[in-house]
Amino acid sequence: MLQKTRFRGRPSTQAETERDWGHGRETRTPQGAADEVPSTSRGASGSQEAAGTRSPSARSASAAPAMELKVAELVQFLLIKDQKKIPIKRTDILKHVIGDYKDIFPDLLKLAAQRLEYVFGYKLVELEPKSNSYILINTLEPVEEDAEVRGDQGTPTTGLLMIVLGLIFMKGNTIKETEVWDFLRRLGVYPTKKHFIFGDPKKLITEDFVRQRYLEYRRIPHTDPVDYEFQWGPRTNLETTKMKVLKFVAKVHNQDPKDWPAQYCEALADEAARARPPPSVPAPSS
Amino acid sequence: MGEPHSRSSRLGGGPEPGCRPSPPSQFELFFSVGLVIWEEGAGGWSNMQCSTRRMGIITDVHRRFLQLMMTHGVLEEQDVTRLQKHCYKVHDRNATVEKLEDFINNINSVLEPLYIEVKKGVTEDDGRPIYALVNLATSSVSKMASDFAENELDLFRKALELIIDSDSGFASSTNILNLVDQLKGKKMRKKEAEQVLQKFVQNKWLIEKEGEFTLHGRAILEMGQYIRETYPDAVKMCNICHGLLIQGQSCETCGIRMHLPCVAKYFQSVSEPRCPHCNDYWPHEIPEVFNPEKEREAAGVSKANRKSLRSRQH
Ligand SMILES: [Zn+2]
Ligand SMILES: [Zn+2]
Repeated sequence: MLQKTRFRGRPSTQAETERDWGHGRETRTPQGAADEVPSTSRGASGSQEAAGTRSPSARSASAAPAMELKVAELVQFLLIKDQKKIPIKRTDILKHVIGDYKDIFPDLLKLAAQRLEYVFGYKLVELEPKSNSYILINTLEPVEEDAEVRGDQGTPTTGLLMIVLGLIFMKGNTIKETEVWDFLRRLGVYPTKKHFIFGDPKKLITEDFVRQRYLEYRRIPHTDPVDYEFQWGPRTNLETTKMKVLKFVAKVHNQDPKDWPAQYCEALADEAARARPPPSVPAPSS
Repeated sequence: MGEPHSRSSRLGGGPEPGCRPSPPSQFELFFSVGLVIWEEGAGGWSNMQCSTRRMGIITDVHRRFLQLMMTHGVLEEQDVTRLQKHCYKVHDRNATVEKLEDFINNINSVLEPLYIEVKKGVTEDDGRPIYALVNLATSSVSKMASDFAENELDLFRKALELIIDSDSGFASSTNILNLVDQLKGKKMRKKEAEQVLQKFVQNKWLIEKEGEFTLHGRAILEMGQYIRETYPDAVKMCNICHGLLIQGQSCETCGIRMHLPCVAKYFQSVSEPRCPHCNDYWPHEIPEVFNPEKEREAAGVSKANRKSLRSRQH
């Protein structure tokens, strides 16, 4: 297939990625079938746009650039979709981006994943095996000053999410919804009352976080009155670890993670399991 | 340290009310290249450009910079510099900080195949340098990018048209709101429309000054191409830099227009300013050239002021 000659399989080094990319650009010829990929000069320089450092030129018409476009589109699509934190469905990708390129979809996706990781530091992963939905994981460790540089306090809802994740973990990986609200009420967060930061906390926790797959939310059978329970969702396991959540809890209490021996052991086991290659992690707590 | 809290106040059974966790930023990414209405008008891939520049090598310093740039959408130069320093501090404390221009060029070289660019511009009113992450490709994908519903996008388009058609580069909120009945998509009430306009201001697509709206520098950077192509007869150009002009000064004799920052530079230390086109007397006040030093002094007074991280809106 054409792309094979231009983009080899997953490169093992950044340099190699770079070479592949660079190569792609050099193969362009200034004149091509303009109707296939029309090019427009960008005008002298945009208003107030700094004098252009790049000279506009036509794109080559070989099929490779067309594929490069698809990959670019795919990258943008994934970045944009990810901002809502809702897992991106394969069918949506096919419908909105891939179009007629279905037969090379796996190749396109692989290339997009490479670029996302090389350029932005985001790893494209499948939410669960065979789930056909994808999320982006940040490969860069979050640092606190990021929020400061951003000029905000981070996303406040993230704090609430971390609290709920912490609660679930500390309570043995499953917690009843009533317990969650009992706890949050003490922080001034009520299921039925609009919160000045979180808006509708009930919706945020039982719908938004669930749709984003941070939380699993299930009805507990045979309960009267009806009650539900929470567990960690698959995104949580991909984006964070038990140890990180435990450290968060410890930090909130100004204590050491080892002050909770059972959870600490479980978190260590989780880390060990993650260090081993692929199989999914069974939560062995008891 | 580790002063034990009472059992009931632990997370295992719960933290103190009011204790504020510092949330990790890992969970978020706002890719705001976003508001793209132009999928219909911009003609698919026609906006693309390319060059055969060499690819740079990027590191986590650049990646973090890009991630944070994405969350902002647009930043003033001093904040971009601060962001750059921050990223070096996190990943490569001992490395020499690359010159901002080289740093950005390097990033742009790897962004290029993705039709994204960190683009530099200046604000139309006072000429302060700004940077935005710009999506050079418009396609069906962009549609998805939007944080806005169809009727909201149409409201933006209406506002944009009023702004471009106006002589001053400003459209009054009254005039914009009068068009809500014509919007595509779901019906919108005036009250809602007001809120949507504020959302555009917050997201730095519009600037509001005393009840009048104009385009934010970010919008000009990201949509300049689209605007020129879509409204070729209505757009105004600057006689000095030949770029798109939304607000500026104009010659009362021959009608040519100039950006305020362009006026400032062109007439700098000229005692009797004259029109560069017809040589008639230039009848407007000549603004001062933007001076980052002066700016810094002023900003130093309120260092903690978060506003400095956002581009000015008033
Ligand atoms: Zn100008
Ligand atoms: Zn004149």
